[in-house]
Formats: sequence, structure tokens, C-alpha cells
Amino acid sequence: MQRRLILKGLGASAVALPGLAACGTAGGGDVELSDEPVTIRMTWWGADTRAELTNQAIAAFEKEHPNITVKGEFKDWAGYWDALATTTAANDSPDVIQMDELYLASYGDRGTLLDLADTSEYLDTSGFEAATLETGKIDGAQYAIPIGAGMLASVVNADLFAQYGVELPDDTTWTWDDYAAIANELTEKSGGAINGSGLTGGTDAGSVRYWARLHGNELYSEDGEVTLDPAVLAALWEYNLGLVESGGVESAAQSVESQSAGIEGGSLATGKIAMGFGYNTQITPLLAASGADLRLLQLPGNAEAAANFIKPSMYWAVSSQSEHPAEAATLIDFLVNHEAAADILGTERGIPANPAMREHVAADLDEGGRLAVDYIETAVAGPPVAVTPNGGSGFDPMVQRYTQEVMFGERTPQEAAEAFIDELKSEIDAAA
Amino acid sequence: MTDTFATTTRPPSGPAPRRARGGFRPVRSIAKHALLILCALVMLYPVLWMVVSSLRPNDVIFRDPSLLLNDLETGNYAEGWTAFADPFSVYLVNSSIVVLGAIVGNLVSCSMAAYAFARLEFTAKRWWFAIMLLTIMLPIHVIIVPQYVLFAQLGWVNTFLPLIVPKLLATDAFFVFLMVQFIRGVPIELDEAARIDGAGHPRIFAQIILPLMVPALAATAIFTFIWTWNDFFSQLIYLTDPDIYTVPLALRAFVDAQAGTNWGDALAMSVVSLVPIFLVFLFGQRFLLRGIATTGGK
Amino acid sequence: MSATTELRSLGRQGSTAKRQNKVAFWFLLPWFVGLFAITLGPMVASLFLSFTDYNLLQPAEFNGLENFTRMLGDERLHRSLGVTFTYVLVSVPVQLGLALALAVVLDRGVRGLAFYRSMFYLPSLLGASVAIAVLWRMVFGADGLFNEGLGLLGIEGRGWISEPETALGTLITLNVWTFGSPMVIFLAGLRQIPRVYYEAASVDGASRGRQFLSVTLPLLTPIIFFNLVLQIIHAFQSFTQAFIVSGGTGGPADSTLFYTLYLYQRGFGNFDMGYASALAWLLLLIVGAFTAVNFWASKYWVFYND
Repeated sequence: MQRRLILKGLGASAVALPGLAACGTAGGGDVELSDEPVTIRMTWWGADTRAELTNQAIAAFEKEHPNITVKGEFKDWAGYWDALATTTAANDSPDVIQMDELYLASYGDRGTLLDLADTSEYLDTSGFEAATLETGKIDGAQYAIPIGAGMLASVVNADLFAQYGVELPDDTTWTWDDYAAIANELTEKSGGAINGSGLTGGTDAGSVRYWARLHGNELYSEDGEVTLDPAVLAALWEYNLGLVESGGVESAAQSVESQSAGIEGGSLATGKIAMGFGYNTQITPLLAASGADLRLLQLPGNAEAAANFIKPSMYWAVSSQSEHPAEAATLIDFLVNHEAAADILGTERGIPANPAMREHVAADLDEGGRLAVDYIETAVAGPPVAVTPNGGSGFDPMVQRYTQEVMFGERTPQEAAEAFIDELKSEIDAAA
Repeated sequence: MTDTFATTTRPPSGPAPRRARGGFRPVRSIAKHALLILCALVMLYPVLWMVVSSLRPNDVIFRDPSLLLNDLETGNYAEGWTAFADPFSVYLVNSSIVVLGAIVGNLVSCSMAAYAFARLEFTAKRWWFAIMLLTIMLPIHVIIVPQYVLFAQLGWVNTFLPLIVPKLLATDAFFVFLMVQFIRGVPIELDEAARIDGAGHPRIFAQIILPLMVPALAATAIFTFIWTWNDFFSQLIYLTDPDIYTVPLALRAFVDAQAGTNWGDALAMSVVSLVPIFLVFLFGQRFLLRGIATTGGK
Repeated sequence: MSATTELRSLGRQGSTAKRQNKVAFWFLLPWFVGLFAITLGPMVASLFLSFTDYNLLQPAEFNGLENFTRMLGDERLHRSLGVTFTYVLVSVPVQLGLALALAVVLDRGVRGLAFYRSMFYLPSLLGASVAIAVLWRMVFGADGLFNEGLGLLGIEGRGWISEPETALGTLITLNVWTFGSPMVIFLAGLRQIPRVYYEAASVDGASRGRQFLSVTLPLLTPIIFFNLVLQIIHAFQSFTQAFIVSGGTGGPADSTLFYTLYLYQRGFGNFDMGYASALAWLLLLIVGAFTAVNFWASKYWVFYND
């Protein structure tokens, strides 16, 4: 018995290497609904609320499609990507995958996602705007369908403005100079009890992209090259260094703490700053955690330049390893196109990217959802941004590291900007 | 055993059979206890904070590092318990199954291997021992993918087998080495006496060595319990169906940095998940102290 | 039975030593099965992958020694080595010293022993609980409890876990604070010391300090040795604490970039598994060298009973 186990084990590990190397693409050939009962796996990251709503949606789907059983798997963000990489490497990935913009090209370029054009019979994308669909395309292949749309916003705490007698800015005209003046004023009038603002960039791709676009620059070109100008990035850091110096922006140490504390523990939610950057959809948890009168304002300078952009909060994708691509596509179709699903899911994954569904859920939104929808409808968006290229999935921690080095005075902005862009380029070149 | 003698000379180790030691040096004793209690409080603070915070409304948790409870919010426990499709008890049970399997596996397989390394002569023993230590020197992150392929081919993914079977096969060199060191602390004369009585190795192992290494076995059981109970990465990778999720997976799933986290629920369930390991330690520690001093040396 | 199983003399036994291969095989059978069926395969696979450009999602291609030559110019790797060596060299001795001291104190007849033992072990139970990261920020953050305490003493605090100069030191402190595991092993080891030795020593009129030095310490050396070897191995692989506290980044500004954290970032964050495998084998060489030196040195200070 034990000896057989040895042999079996050895045999298995002997095949393991070819198995690793040849993580193939099984699906794609014949995309057809099976007549037999089929079980598909679906995976997402997210907390308990999302799990509950998604399970309800799955139940509704299974009722409509008695032939299909869906096994839902939920994980936390970091664990999700570890598990997805491991299972994909072992040719055992779930059929339906919740995807993020940062990782889309990393998976898509490497042939692990199905081009959803192959499943158009089951997944109808005609209701989406072309620009929205574009955010899920790589080299013309529709690897993913956007679920929700988000947009970067200035989040301001109106209670703190009132408390310290500072007037709320007019976000249709304000500039970065106005922003700095208001931030400094808030700090001063509070006598140092709070800081006016958190860092205005350098903590994630969105803020860097916005700043670049304000300066007529882009982070990436359409063909996946890094086009960010070091001088532009350096200017972003210079701006923040100046504000930290004058007290308008919280100290480097506080920024680090706020960033690693998540939404609920961050400076905005705990009332240590009166202004910060965030995605419009984060307003709901921010409201819940802060208990304050938070508002979403247009980003400084945007009214004039229209540099802001719509970012898909997440996507649905089908694994190219799926043996049941038709069923997987049918499930996604249900989730993004059917009112029955929209009724259940609401705005939990962001404001629905499908305009019909957005309209459908707009009727009964909570306060946060209403603020988020209002914002995305009034904010001026420029053209869509290029998808993060393969190799760029580590952007956020990388830019945070350089931002910290600059803020703690370990490098000058110009030096850091050049080193950062070199590193980003080499990551992307290495992955291509 | 000369208990009376031992008491008068106050051996540093031993079962401390007499607690009362008369009224010697009360000042020193008080100072010692004061110091120990102070240390204990420092050690205890995080746990107390967790308990207190789990009884707070969400928006207070991040603002108050103190231990004073103003408004009691017991709802976190009820909510956290039922936050996912399965009640939290399911995760507790799943974790318990994995943990029990791992404990039995480690106790049996590691003690056997340890006996061989400590008491037997065999070809290339040093090299086998070195290989054993080498196997725990690679970080799991580079092992996990090939290992996953292996277990996937055995059809073990999404079962508890990848978490338990390796323990049955003594893959945890930490415990083998631990037991080797303890067995080598057992005087070899005891083995030899048994051998003269005609005992073979299985009997010496079962009747002499095992009873004398109860502290090491207890340490193994306790550590296996705690480490398996808290282990995240391998459980994350191998368990995919939420119905067989374990406690660490459920706890992490409370946290969502983008869409928001219900920290009250998360902390409440963290407290719940601490209870079993704390109880195990509390009741298990007595076995740590059953040394040779109390059971052997006849 | 002439098999004096002094570990270092293994493999070069004298002619009197009788091999017990057959019985040893049966005792080792589970371990052998595990080694060959479960452990060795993935290890060999990772060694193989360390000479490839494996990115997890595509077939691996052999790229010779490229991963290893790349290490020479990898500044983040050098930084992570610095962080890790600092951590190992500081936290292991301090933690073991504290664990041993408390084990000795708690082994003696103190009232309420079980209570203290449990209290001191509590932090080690917390493991990688999600609550821990939150808690440390509450305690060691710029507005944290620790700074409030310092404020009472008139000392100005700082962001202990959020400033590059102090973040590693704070993590080391946190690690020392979970000294429960080595302490428990020391406690078990103390109980393993036959009391006849103490009796003999006190007959000779040895003081308690003298007894500790001449009886306790020598007889505890196998356990001290064990803790030393394993704590070093574990410290080199230290991952969870830094991952939890820094949110997986090794920040601020890479000041807590532990070796395995960097390896993990390369392997999973950047799909750079070939390089991560090479890093893992470099780590194995380093840890293996430390362990070998430890074993070599042990013959001068570790006392075995057998």
C-alpha cells in the first residue's frame, strides 16, 4: 500500500514538470452548451457582503439554468492572486474569473484568458458602450467584460471644513494652487489638529495617470510602452513635498500608516485629514467608517483639462483552460445583462458598466451609491486610458516605494522618477 | 525519588510538589510577582484590545486604542458568525479536522523518524539527517506550484488530504529534530536495561522512549495545533470550495481593502477563533511538564 | 549496545558499530515516503525552474545562469539581504535569551505558574491574525498608544512602524515578543533533566547559581542547540509578520523587505517565478551554511546524554 503510494507519487511528480511547462489552453475550440449537467467554478475577491450577494445571484442563475451548477469561491485580495496564479499554472483554474485592470494584460497576453468574441453567442456585449468594452481588450481580443465603472475623485469632509470655518471649494474651477492653499488653510485653522489633505498622488496608478494627463502626458501608450515623463512624475512629488513642508499634507509617516490601514483605518475615515483622493465607489465604506458628511468633488484642474477617466472597477473573464466556456459565458451574460442579477448585486462591485443596468439600479440606491452615481455623471471624463501592459501588475507597490523614498528624503524627486521609470520599463520588457 | 530531600534543596526543576515554602523572603516574592504581572499585562494587551474592540461599533475601533468600553456592541458576534453562507461553526469544524489529522500525523510519524535518528545506526545517517533539514529551508512560495500539480494529479485538491497526508509522512522536520534532541536526553542506560530484558526496538520505542518524551510530544501537539490552526497559505491554495474553508480563510475573507471591511465582525470572529487554541494551550501545558523527573529515574 | 549515537560521529562509526538498517528503515518508512513522494519532487522542480524564465502562466524556457547573474546587480535583493541578516542576528539571540530566562524563572516554584505561562504564551497564539496589523498601528503608529505613553514621560514619539529608520527595529521587537514557542521548548527541556544530578550537586554543596551553570545549562544544551538552529532557519524565512504589518510591500521604502517577502513579490506579484526559485535556492545555500556551521560548532558546546 505504502509502496504503491511511492510509485504513484513519483510518477506524478515526474509528470509534474511537463505539466508545469505545458500549461495549455484547452478551451476555445467548440463553444457549445452541453446537454449534460455541467459544474463550473467561479472565483472572486471580496468580503462577506460580496460573497452573500454573489451567492444569491448564483442561485438565481441556477434556477434559470437547471443544467448548470456554479461553485463560487471567494478569497481576500492578496490570497486571490496567489491562488489564481497557482491554479492557472497547474492548468486547474476556475472557469469564471473576476479580473482587475492591473492583471488583465498579465493573464491575457499569456494566453490564459478566452477571447470572449468566441462566446458571443452566449454573452451579449451589444448593450455596452464601445469605449467601455475597449478597457477589456488587449490587441483587439476581448479578454474581459467590465463589471463596474469607477472614477477618481476628491473626497472632502464637509464637517471638518465647517468645523474650522473653511469654505468648500468650487470644484468646477479649482486648480492645484487652490488645492494647496485650501489644504494649508485647513491645517492652520485647525491649529494642527488635522492636516488639510493626504498625499495627492504616488500611491496608485490612477493618481499618477491623472497627473500625467493633466500635463499632456500618459503613463502607457496604446501599444504598452511606458511613456511617462520623469519630469512630470518628479513635479507630482515636488508638489507634495512642498505641501508636507507647509503642513497642508500629512507627514510621510502618517501617509504610510494611512495607506496600510485600508479604507476604514485611513486618515480620511478617521478624520485626520479633510481632503483626500479616492474612487467614487469607495464613498460607501468611507461614509460608514467616518460617520461624517463626505462629498465627492471633481479633481483639481479637471474641469478645464478633462484629464480624468473612467476605470473599470473590475471585470469578468473566462479562463482559456475552461472546459465549459459556453456555460461560463452564459453566467457572465446573466451577471452583466440581466435585471434579475442587477437587482441582487446592486452597486456592490461598482456602478454597473452596462448603461441599461446602471439605469435599472439607479432607482433604489443608498446614500453612498447615489453620491457615486451623481459623481460619475457630472465629472468630465477624457478619452479612456490604455490598459496596464503585461508586467505592470506590480505598479502600485512599486510607486508607493518610490514615493516613500522621496517623502522620507532618501532620493530627490528627479532621481526617483528616473529610477522608477527605468524599473517599470524593465519589468514590462521582461514580461513581454 | 527522594521528595523530601528535593524539597529542602529546592531543585530548579521538578514537579514542585510543595507549593508553600514558608515565609522566606516575602518582599522578594512580591517583587517577583509584581514584575511577572507587569510583563503579563504587556503580553496580554493585544488580546484584551481584540476582545474589547470586538465589542465596539465599527466606527470606534480605529479611533480608540484604549481598553475602556463605552458602548457595548455585542451584535458583531452574531453578525460575524453568520457573515458567510456557512455559519462560522463550519469553519471551526473544518479547521479542527485538519488540525487533528495533522497532530496525529506529526506525533506518530515524527516520533518514529526521530527514534531512528537518535537511537539507531544506519547507512549514511548524517546525510539523511542533513537532507531532512534541507527540506524545510526552501520557502513554500516556490514549492507550492509543483506541489499543487502533484496533488492535483492525485485528485486531492479541494480536500483536506494535501494538508494532512504530508504530516502523516513526517515532512515537518522541525518536530523530528525536536524529538531527536529529547530522545538523546534520555539516558541510554534505560534502553540497555530494557534490551537485557529482551525488548526489541519497537518495544523500547513504545514503552521506554515514548513515555519519557511526553513533554516533547506535548510540545509537538501544541505547536502543530497552533501553527496549523493559524496557517493560511497552503489552506488558501488547496481549499477552493467555501464549504470546506478553514478559520484563517474565513477570517481573511472579511477584509476587503477596496470595498470596505466590517472590522467589528472580523475582530469578533478572531476572538472566537482564539478560544480553541488558548484552551488547548491551557490544558495541554501540563503535559509539557511531565518530564523524566516525574516519570522516570526509578 | 555500542551504538553511541553522537550525531557527528554518524556515518563514520568504528568497526564495533553494528548497522541496524533494517529496523531503521521501518521506523523511517513514513518519512521516506514523504520525502520521495511529496517533498523532493517539488524541490527538484524548483531547482530546475531556477535555471528558467518560468512566469507561472507560460512554458518555462531554459535561460542558463541568467537568474543568478541577475542577482549581482539586483539592488532590492541586496537590501533584502541586509534587512534579513539584521533581523536574524538581532532577533534570534534576544528572543532565545528572553525565552530561556523566562523558562528558568517559570520553571521554579512560582505561585500561579500555569497562569503566567499561559499569559506569556498568548502573543504567540495570535499568529497572523488580521487583527494584528490593525493593532500594531494602534500601538506603534504616530498617534498610537506607545507614543501617548512616551508623551507622559515628556518624550516625543514618532511613527515607529511607518518610518524607515525604526520600522525594522519595531518588527524585531514584535518578533521578540512572541518568544512563546522557544520558551515552551525550554520548559519541556528543563523537565527532562534528571533530578539525580541536582541532588548530587547539592550534596556537593553547590549553590543555586552554581547548579544552574554546572547542571542545568550543560544538560539543556541539546535543547538550546535545537532552538538556535531552528530559530535561525525560521528567522531567515520570516515572512508573515512583515507581510501583515506592511501590507505585503516590505515598506516603508523597503525598510522591512525580508528576503522571502521579496521572493514572494517576484514570484507572485511579478510572475517572475524562475527568478524567485533561484532566490529560494540562494536562501537555501545561506541557511544551509549557517546550519552547517552550527552543527560543526555544536561539538564544542553541546552535551549529549547518550
